[in-house]
Amino acid sequence: GACRVSMSLAEIRAGFTAIKADIQSRDPIRTLSILSHPHSLHKVKSSDRCCIAHQLFTFYVDKVFKHCRTEDSFVNRKISSIANSFLSTRRKLGQCREQNNCTCGEESTEKFKQILANYEGLNVTSAAMKSLGELDILLDWMEKSR
Amino acid sequence: SGELYCSLPNPRNVHFESINMKNVLHWSAPEGTGDGVLYKVKYAVYGVGKWIRKPECGNINRTWCDLSSETSDYEEQYYASVKAFLNGACSDWMETTRFNPLTDTKIAPPMVSVSSTDRSISIILTTPEKWKRSPEEESVSLLQVYPGLRYNVSVLNKKTKKRWLFSISNNTLVVPWLEPGTAYCVSAQIRVTTPRLDSGFSK
Amino acid sequence: DALLPAPQDISILSTNMKHFLTWSPVVVQGATVRYSVEFQGEYEREYANGSWIPISECSLTTATVCNLTEDISATVAYKLRVRAQLGATRSPWATSKGFFSRAMTSLTPPELRVVADGHHVLVELADMGPSFQFRVLYWRKGQESRVQQKVMKEVSSVVHLATMEAGAEYCVKAQAHVEAINRSSSFSPTQCVRAQGDTSVWLV
Repeated sequence: GACRVSMSLAEIRAGFTAIKADIQSRDPIRTLSILSHPHSLHKVKSSDRCCIAHQLFTFYVDKVFKHCRTEDSFVNRKISSIANSFLSTRRKLGQCREQNNCTCGEESTEKFKQILANYEGLNVTSAAMKSLGELDILLDWMEKSR
Repeated sequence: SGELYCSLPNPRNVHFESINMKNVLHWSAPEGTGDGVLYKVKYAVYGVGKWIRKPECGNINRTWCDLSSETSDYEEQYYASVKAFLNGACSDWMETTRFNPLTDTKIAPPMVSVSSTDRSISIILTTPEKWKRSPEEESVSLLQVYPGLRYNVSVLNKKTKKRWLFSISNNTLVVPWLEPGTAYCVSAQIRVTTPRLDSGFSK
Repeated sequence: DALLPAPQDISILSTNMKHFLTWSPVVVQGATVRYSVEFQGEYEREYANGSWIPISECSLTTATVCNLTEDISATVAYKLRVRAQLGATRSPWATSKGFFSRAMTSLTPPELRVVADGHHVLVELADMGPSFQFRVLYWRKGQESRVQQKVMKEVSSVVHLATMEAGAEYCVKAQAHVEAINRSSSFSPTQCVRAQGDTSVWLV
């Protein structure tokens, strides 16, 4: 059904693994995280997961990928592959959200606001590159909570 | 004490080596330095604002440091860093890449126990456990860490040299109707699809 | 630039999730014409100002075919374009008509080899690529209503399918399935083997 996004996650994971070292090396800030601090995705209530996942995919599509252009053609192609996979996966998550009437609880809405605040706290290129470098945090959470 | 000059060459190839989430930091000595080099180690949880020294790895002359305890939460990611000292001089801090225990560990093969009757063999696989601080600590099987974990079991007929592969998700397998008086060799491998992690085949 | 005509007859050939762009050569007597290919996914159209991304393996190539497989790696609508180049002179871009999605790929039945070894039915499936898994159906001959199924990903190995009752004949067929586009191929021809050592050859 629409919530079955495992294959897309595997493809996104493969694309990210190919450029992980490159992307993370462009993020010199060790002491800040967009997704994992101060709130951890792993503490999101299961009832909120569908909604938060859809919001996070929208966040990446709307805010992150467009600011991640690099001078490396291979990296740019993998980012395009990931971005387009995000688009098709977000579509599925959107359908899943509608079919299951997923709602975002107050606590999770707060977490997502914190993620946006973390993002806005950096200049846009640094924030986008850091967010892209944290894709495995998002994927780990989504695969764990399947 | 005198001002330390950070002119010493840097430790090289600072990286984590991890098996079943036993996470050990390794590095190579700075180029051109003989004996007598000492090292300090620190680590940081990614996204948290401070570096933490590892006292047990302060002023050591070996080129590894076990950070399993400090990196045991696999929902976090980590950096570690090493600095070298020799005769009053020191190197820069040299960092690892970002370490994600969940995706960057290697998985050991499962333990395989085999029993047989005259015409069948019964195989029981035991998944390795996640590293733990002490025997008393509660065990966590890697099956709990990687829900999609499966096994490939290879059964080799030593007479015909034919090898059969069984792909199973539970940890037991019975192979009936075998040739009496024939030796069969069994080995098994763990397969995790996402993240992509395969163990080698057991002996 | 207008002196050099754009490549013609652009088409996309896609089989078993391998996608290729082809075009007709631009002929200039006594000269070697080169070509460059770019792609644009739905993301680039909707969120990146319609930008195009070059495929380095197909930049300034003399070939008239380009492997798109690594780049067409999401189930969205893509556009492709190619242009010719001779020295500093470039032709206009020739853009693929309509959109291409990998869901349009044609899927062929898997190559299946079925072997009986004593009481055991074993199968070997040819590798079709990382996107594929296989649905293997098997039944005891004469009991067509009691078909059993296994979903497999293991390829290029002799995989144990089932244990047979003595003297029984078992039949097997398989289809390829691509979860990423949620489509399956047609079934391979059925192959039957009898317990105690029957062997069949590759059937394509």
